[in-house]
Amino acid sequence: MPERLANRLKERRTELGLTQAELAERVGVTRKTVNTVENGVFTPSATLAIKLAQALDLSVEQLFWIER
Amino acid sequence: MSAFMIGLLAGLGAVLVVAAVVKWRSRDKPVSVADKAEFLSRRRARMLPALAVIFLSQQATFFSQMSGGEHVSAEKAKISAWLILSVVLLFGLATKGFWLEPKEVRDLVDDENTRANRNEGMRWGFLFAMGSAIAIYVLTMFDVVTGREAVHIVLSFGIAAALLRWGVLERRAHRDA
Repeated sequence: MPERLANRLKERRTELGLTQAELAERVGVTRKTVNTVENGVFTPSATLAIKLAQALDLSVEQLFWIER
Repeated sequence: MSAFMIGLLAGLGAVLVVAAVVKWRSRDKPVSVADKAEFLSRRRARMLPALAVIFLSQQATFFSQMSGGEHVSAEKAKISAWLILSVVLLFGLATKGFWLEPKEVRDLVDDENTRANRNEGMRWGFLFAMGSAIAIYVLTMFDVVTGREAVHIVLSFGIAAALLRWGVLERRAHRDA
């Protein structure tokens, strides 16, 4: 069974009332990158994962987990 | 002036005209760095597959009109124009592109996902170039292929495959779930 990096990026972002563009600006990437991470199309680097977690006031483990 | 130089100048002229048109078209567009990067990123996603198709169709025209030495000057001009276009596209693939934009916009438009997509495009380009090299190698057992033709085919397939793959990935990345 292949492993997949799941996330609750969209859920948390919506909770905080942020748009993809606003979150992207906070972490210094384009909206496209946030969109692909949210959709599970793109696996972010450790650096980006930490930046996203910090921007959303969560730990990396709370934001991302491995789904089997 | 030699036909080769005319071709080089024509290629350079075309590149400059395209750059000027692109700059002029974006004169009234959003000004914040993030908005500008988003706008450029979307435009690139639209342009890459179109560029690949134009580039490949140019090669198809080139090979279908090979005269076998009747119009040597015209051929030289076409080859040098193609060379300029190939070098510009290769530069676009190997660098962040958007050379006329400020550094902060160029850095943002070449973010993590873009770099990953571009690397994947480069991988495809390499595989297609190697594949076409093998195909030409086999072809030379049955037919004569000049060195110039071989380089032309390998370069064209490599660049076009890289552009196309990168473009497809960029378009997919922009699509909302």
